[in-house]
Amino acid sequence: MVDPIFDYQFRLILIGDSTVGKSSLLKYFTDGKFAELSDPTVGVDFFARIIEVQDGTRIKLQLWDTAGQERFRSITKSYYRNSVGALLVYDVCNRSSFEHIPLWMMEAKRHIEPHRPVFALVGCKIDLVGTDNKNGARREVSCEEARMFAEENGLHHVETSAKTGMNVEEAFVLVAQEVYNRIQTGEYKVEDGWDGIKTGFNRPNGMDFNLLEAETVQSTCC
Amino acid sequence: MPSSDSDDFESADEGHGSVDKKERKKRLSSSNYSDNTVESDQESKKSAGAIQKKIEEPKKKEEKQTDGWDDFDIDDNEAELKKDSQTNAANTAPSKKVENKPSDNQKANVIKKQSEAKNPIESTQDTGWDDFDDWGDDDTSKNDPSSKPQPTQQRQPEPDIKAVTDRLAEASNKSSGWGWGWGVDSLLSTATAGISTITNQVSQGISTVLETGIGAPDPEELARRAKDNESKPQPNRSEEPQKTENDPNAGDAFQLGSLLSGVTKFVESTGTKVIAGGLDTLETIGKKTMEVLQDGDPGLAKKRAMLGLDAGDKPVLSQVLREAKSRADEEDRVKEEKREAKEVHYENLFDDFEGLVHLEALEMLSRQVSMRIEERLRSAEPDKRQDIKETLQQVAELCEMPEEEDEEEESEDISKTEAFHERLLAATRDIGVKLQFQSLVKQYTEALDWLSADSATEKTVYKRAVSSLAQATALAVEVYHKTAEMLLVKPRRSTADESDALTQMTVVLTKHISELATLFTEKLNTLETENKDQVNIYITNIFLEAGNSSTYIQNAFQLALPILQIGAV
Repeated sequence: MVDPIFDYQFRLILIGDSTVGKSSLLKYFTDGKFAELSDPTVGVDFFARIIEVQDGTRIKLQLWDTAGQERFRSITKSYYRNSVGALLVYDVCNRSSFEHIPLWMMEAKRHIEPHRPVFALVGCKIDLVGTDNKNGARREVSCEEARMFAEENGLHHVETSAKTGMNVEEAFVLVAQEVYNRIQTGEYKVEDGWDGIKTGFNRPNGMDFNLLEAETVQSTCC
Repeated sequence: MPSSDSDDFESADEGHGSVDKKERKKRLSSSNYSDNTVESDQESKKSAGAIQKKIEEPKKKEEKQTDGWDDFDIDDNEAELKKDSQTNAANTAPSKKVENKPSDNQKANVIKKQSEAKNPIESTQDTGWDDFDDWGDDDTSKNDPSSKPQPTQQRQPEPDIKAVTDRLAEASNKSSGWGWGWGVDSLLSTATAGISTITNQVSQGISTVLETGIGAPDPEELARRAKDNESKPQPNRSEEPQKTENDPNAGDAFQLGSLLSGVTKFVESTGTKVIAGGLDTLETIGKKTMEVLQDGDPGLAKKRAMLGLDAGDKPVLSQVLREAKSRADEEDRVKEEKREAKEVHYENLFDDFEGLVHLEALEMLSRQVSMRIEERLRSAEPDKRQDIKETLQQVAELCEMPEEEDEEEESEDISKTEAFHERLLAATRDIGVKLQFQSLVKQYTEALDWLSADSATEKTVYKRAVSSLAQATALAVEVYHKTAEMLLVKPRRSTADESDALTQMTVVLTKHISELATLFTEKLNTLETENKDQVNIYITNIFLEAGNSSTYIQNAFQLALPILQIGAV
């Protein structure tokens, strides 16, 4: 717990097929470590990290790491509701994990409604694709088609490696920045009874400032 | 819409007032523009009787008056007439005017004239600025025509109020041109203040241009030019009297209050000077200025605040800087305090250890499962429904916390942490899912290790106590959450065993919490301290937070109840 002060808390959820690397991605993002072996996630696990967006605003990301296993599907769907962002995770060396992405996205949209989350398409295990990797797996999802899908659906796309750390940070910052931007434009608000976005209770002024801003915008000339 | 346009223009023109007045002061030895007004008002009062007569034939009066100046055509338009007379007055040498006045003096007409045409009188006094005065006269003549028709009608009952109503009526006329309604009186003054500079510059510029164009101020030439100028803005002016007549503003206007005192001054002094000079130009400038002023500042709120500051207590830079610094210091201090407070704030710590989010996730599951149970109840046959209800009740009873049991004697050959782990495993032996207690055991071990270390102050012990309680509780809640998830995906349910196991586990966990609290308070009591009161406060708080922890744990257990129940129905 380095500086615990933050301005906002965003709740992001990671979804995708089993074994695509959701937990590893989160472990690297929060601990900077890569675990060669890890148990499959039961239900949902939690991670947290504070990052800064472009204007220096401190955001605590509360990350919900859902189980990809089919048997937990009925449970994990009850966890979507309070998310403001969703990372759709697939394995670049696993074709079917990419093909299931539209289903995951639909599922998330349906359960997060009426809220509209920020989505990001995150390819994992990019380190396995390396050219000089003798026993490396073959890439089954090209960067181009993933990017195309992302563009069609208005998502950000990024390919990552939880082993080398490549783009791991970027994947989360991307989503956080987008959520923050939507707060700035007024598309997202802090709402009672919805925990997607919360203000950090360590910065009481944060709230007032927003109210002030909002007032300026709302005021009209007689 | 020429009328509204001209209104706009006039409003913008009002801003001209203050500067214009100053200008006049410069020009006129008679400082007393307002004095004049009073005087002439009194004069008109004195001659009320005469005025009465005059009103019977207002037009004749005008004719008579103008008749004196045979150089010019007589126009039926009152404004025109008025102007003519003024222009004449300006053109004639002051001596002439002075001669003229006494000659007509017996007639109330002239007094009336004076009272109405204060400006011309002033202008005529000013000999050095003939050409400029033409503009000044236009000014007033523009002012008057709008007011004049009204007075002639209204003077009968209350001639002394006339001047006031005139101004009010005019002002209201003008302000209505803004199209902003009446709520903007203060805005008006602000806006006009800004505009006045521009307007003034423009009007001066125009006069300069015209002066240069005219060349030497030959009175006759000037008069002719002035006449020419008059004919140009005529359509505008002829509209104005009409409007004034249509406008029943005299009554309304009294409600305007403070707005008018400000606006009237502008109205009085501004006049047609600018109209004749370049109505279109100023109109554009005025509109543009308002646009610029209002840009990104609806209602001019910011600028108003800014100007308000300027007018009132002006902030001193050093003061501002000092305040900024003290604010920054205050913020730092608050930040530091919060960081400090957070370190020993139970709820924050509980959140940091992810207890809150596990509790929340458990709650989500619990709610969803409850809904499923209700759905089953609704869809069940009536006789079955009762069975289901009974089953639900039975499960709930199974999960009631047992009365305090006697502490089992711990075997001496295993450590506290091992014993704790053993009890947890024993309690949940029959639950049918594999539960992980390692994190709880590990945390317990760390707490015990820390307590056995020597270097500790009251404060660090207290901090560690709260933190340990929060962490143990968070880990316990996580166990309930995980258990609930696994029970939900468990293929074959055994509700009775599960209920018993969770109840036993709850007993073990709440005991564990009290154990932790006791260990830390004992540690506090062993410390040598001068501040016994503080230590007592710490001890009280630790037990308080321990109670808090037990509540969280039992809440988590209650949230798990529907998950146990659904396995049975």
